[in-house]
Amino acid sequence: MSVAAWGRRAFLLLPAAFVTLFLILPLAFTFLVSFWKRSMLGMRPGFVFANYAEFLTGTRLTVLGRSFVISAEATLIGLLIAYPIAYFLARKVRPRATRLVLLLFTVPFLVNYIIRTFAWTYLLGRTGPVNALLIAAGLTRGPVDWLLFSPFSVLIGMISSYMPFMIFPLWISIAGIDRRLIEASWMLGAPPARTFLRVALPLSLPGIFAAVIFSFVGCFGESAVPVILGGVGYQLIGNEITSTLDVLNYPLAAAMSSVVTAAMLALIGVWYLAFDLRSFLGKILSRRSSP
Amino acid sequence: MRRAGAARASLWAGIAAILLMLYLPLLPPVLFSIAPEHAGEGPVTLRWYGEIWESELLSGAIATSLEAGAIVAVVTPVLSLAAAMAIRELRMPRLLLLLVLLPLFVPGVSMGLATAFFFRILGIAPSLVTIAMVQTLWALPFATLVVLTAMSSFDPVYLEAAYMAGANRWRAFRDIELPLIRPGISGAATFSLILSFNETIRTSIVQGPLNTVQTYIWSTYREVGLSPSLYALMTLLIAVTFALVGAYLLRAPREA
Amino acid sequence: MQSNPAINRRDALKLALAAGAAAAVPFRARPSLAGGRINFADIGVGDPGGDWSRYTKSSGYGVNLVSIGNAPSAILNLLVAGGGTGTYDIINIVGGMQKPLVDNNLIEELDTSKIPNWTKDRNIGEFLTAGTPGFQFIGYNGKIYGCPTVLQGDSFAYLPEKTGTLDSYAALFDPRFKGYVALEDNYTTAGQKTALFLKASGQADIKNPDDMTPDEFKKVVDYLIEHKRAGQFRVIWSSFQQAVDLIVSKEVHVIDCWEPMVFAAKAKGVDAVYADPKEGYLLWAMAAYVVRNPGRSAEQEAAAYQLLDFMLGGWYGAKITTLRGYMTNTDAPDYAKAHPDEFSADEAAKVASITENVRRKFTKGGTWQNRWPTAVEAYESEWSRFKSA
Repeated sequence: MSVAAWGRRAFLLLPAAFVTLFLILPLAFTFLVSFWKRSMLGMRPGFVFANYAEFLTGTRLTVLGRSFVISAEATLIGLLIAYPIAYFLARKVRPRATRLVLLLFTVPFLVNYIIRTFAWTYLLGRTGPVNALLIAAGLTRGPVDWLLFSPFSVLIGMISSYMPFMIFPLWISIAGIDRRLIEASWMLGAPPARTFLRVALPLSLPGIFAAVIFSFVGCFGESAVPVILGGVGYQLIGNEITSTLDVLNYPLAAAMSSVVTAAMLALIGVWYLAFDLRSFLGKILSRRSSP
Repeated sequence: MRRAGAARASLWAGIAAILLMLYLPLLPPVLFSIAPEHAGEGPVTLRWYGEIWESELLSGAIATSLEAGAIVAVVTPVLSLAAAMAIRELRMPRLLLLLVLLPLFVPGVSMGLATAFFFRILGIAPSLVTIAMVQTLWALPFATLVVLTAMSSFDPVYLEAAYMAGANRWRAFRDIELPLIRPGISGAATFSLILSFNETIRTSIVQGPLNTVQTYIWSTYREVGLSPSLYALMTLLIAVTFALVGAYLLRAPREA
Repeated sequence: MQSNPAINRRDALKLALAAGAAAAVPFRARPSLAGGRINFADIGVGDPGGDWSRYTKSSGYGVNLVSIGNAPSAILNLLVAGGGTGTYDIINIVGGMQKPLVDNNLIEELDTSKIPNWTKDRNIGEFLTAGTPGFQFIGYNGKIYGCPTVLQGDSFAYLPEKTGTLDSYAALFDPRFKGYVALEDNYTTAGQKTALFLKASGQADIKNPDDMTPDEFKKVVDYLIEHKRAGQFRVIWSSFQQAVDLIVSKEVHVIDCWEPMVFAAKAKGVDAVYADPKEGYLLWAMAAYVVRNPGRSAEQEAAAYQLLDFMLGGWYGAKITTLRGYMTNTDAPDYAKAHPDEFSADEAAKVASITENVRRKFTKGGTWQNRWPTAVEAYESEWSRFKSA
């Protein structure tokens, strides 16, 4: 091949190399460390399963489960909110208004998310404005306790952090659906609901896929939101890992880390199998996938 | 038509409600940024806005955040474009996709820890570069997915038409595809910038003696409490953003 | 107290600050000082508002203050990873970390003869000498390693308008305040205070709250879990800001926290009181250690000692007390009163009253916080159990 072609190939492989070097190798090292023995100030190379045993048989495992559940909930609710908005913006609204609205969704992100998160503690507290409003409106007699420091507040925190993220890929994906396909469906007599379910929705799956990943993984790794809004030890797995690091138990932290990473990879594996990726990558690969 | 009108109105109402919920947490910081500290200062004060620049640490953090953000917003879209093209053209799209998405699946703490060890072994000193590297790693999957979804609605048939018309690969790409996926690329750049600016955990692990606005706020929040000048900074950012949004809307719109 | 000590989880993030710094941080020389600069790592408490001018005037050296987290992991990584010991001269952290630091050859024994203010500070003689429990904050194996820059006794805060006067840690577990209590997310403060209470009230057989066995700590955690399940605690806080907010917004009425938070709340007009419990206080001290670096020049070493002396001096002590609300040394109140040009009458009065108050706490006693208990891992996993219960 010519130099230009080699150059091009190198360019294309750059991201993969970048990730391999700076993520895979370090992760492999972490995995290795998870088998090492704990010693006073650090660790000694060894090969023991003790760290995994400690993690998988202890209370920390429930924390892992809880992380899954809350991330799934936040993602699902976020999706239910974001999809209609994205659909509406993509198909029923003039481009200028769309861009404005999308920008409006972006602005809150320029405020530090820690400040945003703990602003919720002001808003939802017993003496905060939301409670004051509820009491003034006569909807409740005293302050509502479960507004804050509860699963509810953690969900609010997560959703307001990640839901806007979901809107963008959904919008890009839906906006890219060829109008003619929708029109063809109508012309063939399908009612709007059917058109949506059988044409628009499947075609927007790439966007849904992206949105779900953004939200789920983000929520899963969260440690600030549960701490600020969660109340009495609302631990998620991110907090568990940091807390073992605090006592310099690197092997245990490494073990937990590896389990989490493996779990997430398993998820992506399930997705790969359940959704033939060719349909997702289909149009992109069409030059190659020609039968 | 009336039913459609009512449906439209309720959707707009829904969007407004959601936006309200997202903007609500912005109120307390704005209010605190003008709240006086002592009774004698009057009902509102602008003193905190001045104090932002007095803190050497904070000014340094702002500078670092800007520099890192600039690097990430340029490097990541380029890398993600390369990744998307690689996925499209090379023989192992699923593997490449998996690789690029990997940073998404690793919890922040683990990723920070792993990369910190790695840098230490390689003898790489913490600096703006290490911060930018970690943030690029984090932003890469997002950016790539955005570019991919933009590309997925682009039909390569157009490229073939261009080849048949005599264009080489580069020209075909530049003149045909790029304009059509530009929203995706600028989306990727925007996304990367936002992610870089908001990144806390991974950055704090590799930042060394530097601080970004995020890590600075995180550590003051924990150790000594937030100072009103931080709220003032945030309010300024909001104001600047609104100004930019306004400017963007006022210029003649070009329907892409 | 800076009870972020042993274990504030998020401080572990700072471990990287360390890991990073460890990989050889280039300290650009900033000329314009006769001598050089002392590299001073501090957790935020020891910063006198950036004003080191008096020290610079007398020593010719400047001070380069670097902010670090308080978690053992952050500190140990800062020094253990190669390069750390070559970069920092003094680290000023909550004491009690001598064992791991000395065992790993990271700090030097102090030659107190080089610190003239050492004998002047009555606090050291009365509370921290060898043989007293306080010694574990500055000494190890009979030798002195840390220079005590700050001393404090912790208990808890409450809102008297809601609870009346409280005088015992029992308030934290009193069903009358169910749902209106907050604890710190820290087993060396909240955990130790609970142990102190349980022992004093005879509810648990704990020999030494300063250093519990895994079984003893398990009993403490069982007690806490029982109350958690009953809905006693509104929140477990882990940041300064959070604690202040909880008091100011009156979200909770009784809160295990540090005294500066009460000062902050009072400044916002909330009547909060820091309790004087009959069981005693959680006592702790900040210690400035000299990092072990055989390559350090004699001049630099002398300047470092001068800095230690400076920190035991009246101006620094008064300044820190004014800024942070902690007690420093016994010279501080006199200095503040004698220098009305540097400290206003209000500030001098504040320094005097804080110093007197904390000395009273030390005399009364309680339990000395232990940052690195023998069974620290058991502490951590038990605390984890509490949080996920």
